[in-house]
Amino acid sequence: MSAKIFAVGAGKGGVGKTFISSSLAITLAKLHHSVLLVDFDLAGANVHTNLGMEPQKTSIQSFLNGEADLVNLSQPTSIPKLSMIQGVWQEWEQTPCRRGQGLQLVQEIRKLPFDFVVIDLGPGATATNLEIFSSADEKILVTNAEPTSVEKSYRFFEAWILKQVSENTTPDAYEKIKKAVQEFRAQKQQGLFSFRKYLNSTANVSFDHFDQMLSHPIRLVVNSCRSHQDQDLGYSVKSVCSKYFDLGIDYSGCVDYDNAVWHSIRNKEPFLIAKPFTKLSGQFLALAKHLSPSENHVIGIKAVI
Amino acid sequence: MDTSERYNYYDILEINCHCPQHEVTTAYERSKLTYSGENPAIYTMFNESEARELLKMVEEAYSVLGNKTLRALYDEKIGQKRPIADLSFESLQTESKTVFSTLPKKPSNDRAQFVADKAIEDEFSATTHWDGTMLKKAREYRKLSHDALSNITKISVYYVKALEECDPKNLPAAVYVRGYVSQVAKVLALDEKKVCDSYMKIFKSNLEKK
Repeated sequence: MSAKIFAVGAGKGGVGKTFISSSLAITLAKLHHSVLLVDFDLAGANVHTNLGMEPQKTSIQSFLNGEADLVNLSQPTSIPKLSMIQGVWQEWEQTPCRRGQGLQLVQEIRKLPFDFVVIDLGPGATATNLEIFSSADEKILVTNAEPTSVEKSYRFFEAWILKQVSENTTPDAYEKIKKAVQEFRAQKQQGLFSFRKYLNSTANVSFDHFDQMLSHPIRLVVNSCRSHQDQDLGYSVKSVCSKYFDLGIDYSGCVDYDNAVWHSIRNKEPFLIAKPFTKLSGQFLALAKHLSPSENHVIGIKAVI
Repeated sequence: MDTSERYNYYDILEINCHCPQHEVTTAYERSKLTYSGENPAIYTMFNESEARELLKMVEEAYSVLGNKTLRALYDEKIGQKRPIADLSFESLQTESKTVFSTLPKKPSNDRAQFVADKAIEDEFSATTHWDGTMLKKAREYRKLSHDALSNITKISVYYVKALEECDPKNLPAAVYVRGYVSQVAKVLALDEKKVCDSYMKIFKSNLEKK
């Protein structure tokens, strides 16, 4: 069976993508799955710091340059069953990502002998990010409760929808749709309205893949919640998405704010390893189970026969 | 699209039409939280007036779906493929009233059969000697059975009967008996004080006889 791929993205930097993806990977590894954590943050790779490792010479850049295989790039970590591929560390050597490279990466990843692969994407809805995001099995979007990151999340949703639309139409029709979207935004809206119906009536495009998107919805995770209101924000975002875009998303869970997180990063020790019995590790466990409900999770020590 | 078009209330609250009642309330509370006040979730998506408009729709949806009777009626109408435009809180409320207008009438009161008789009432007001027999007479004049009297006064039938016998063996202590007599007198529209004093005198003499 090929690996199940989780892509973790966000509309904006600093909301905790790397923390969420590394903690999710550790949680899955703790559940006795073999996990690969890929750092695909081309602007600021720091998964290795989150895992408390020294940066290595080899990075995903070698794969993008076509110099090395993913198998050779993956390196073991201090956590059993968890491997990682380091992100671009020497940024002066970095070459911009070409179109299609994201897709190629996902295809290569599928060949690897892991149960789960967690890809930590860079911030924003860049073309490569969206490419990986759409071909992943689970698309996880991280936000926190601040208006800035919520706004950027909506921009991410828009980019995501347009990307889905562009894949299914001719360039001409796409231009028409883009115009329709801009008009839709400028228009004064009254009451309940549907993005989908609007596009249908104005640009004359019918959207069956909205329903396809529903079968693999974007998973929203609200990070660093400080109150119940923050936790409920996910439901609000979900409601706004379905009212505004007519797009169903899934609110997968929230992760509380914990002062110990930055403390453990400063100590260069993964939070879930340094503090395994906190509320946060419970929340990550719930998240992992929510994202892979059919897997056979083993909690505790597995007997080796 | 046509902005005057009305929407399914379930769509507005984003719930399944088979969901239990408590989920309707949860959905309503969440929607209310989303579209009122300064929730960061509506930032850059809906402006203030749009949010207010949405909140109004949410409130309207909940005014129907939050009420079990109206929700059942709404479901029925949706099932009959009635145009949604006809279904509003007001129309459903009027309809719910017409459906239940033929409620069975309450069973008539036992005391309705009572026929006033001036002569007997005068006799009651003239009597100063109130014993069990007189109480019985007053009760029968009022057309009340033992059971009916017991029902009204909440004194057990056993004691009601014993009161009419004026039988201390079957009655509790004097202070309770006085309470009973006063209640019975009240129900039978007699002069409470006069009846009580007279009855208790007889009761106490019976008690000593024993």
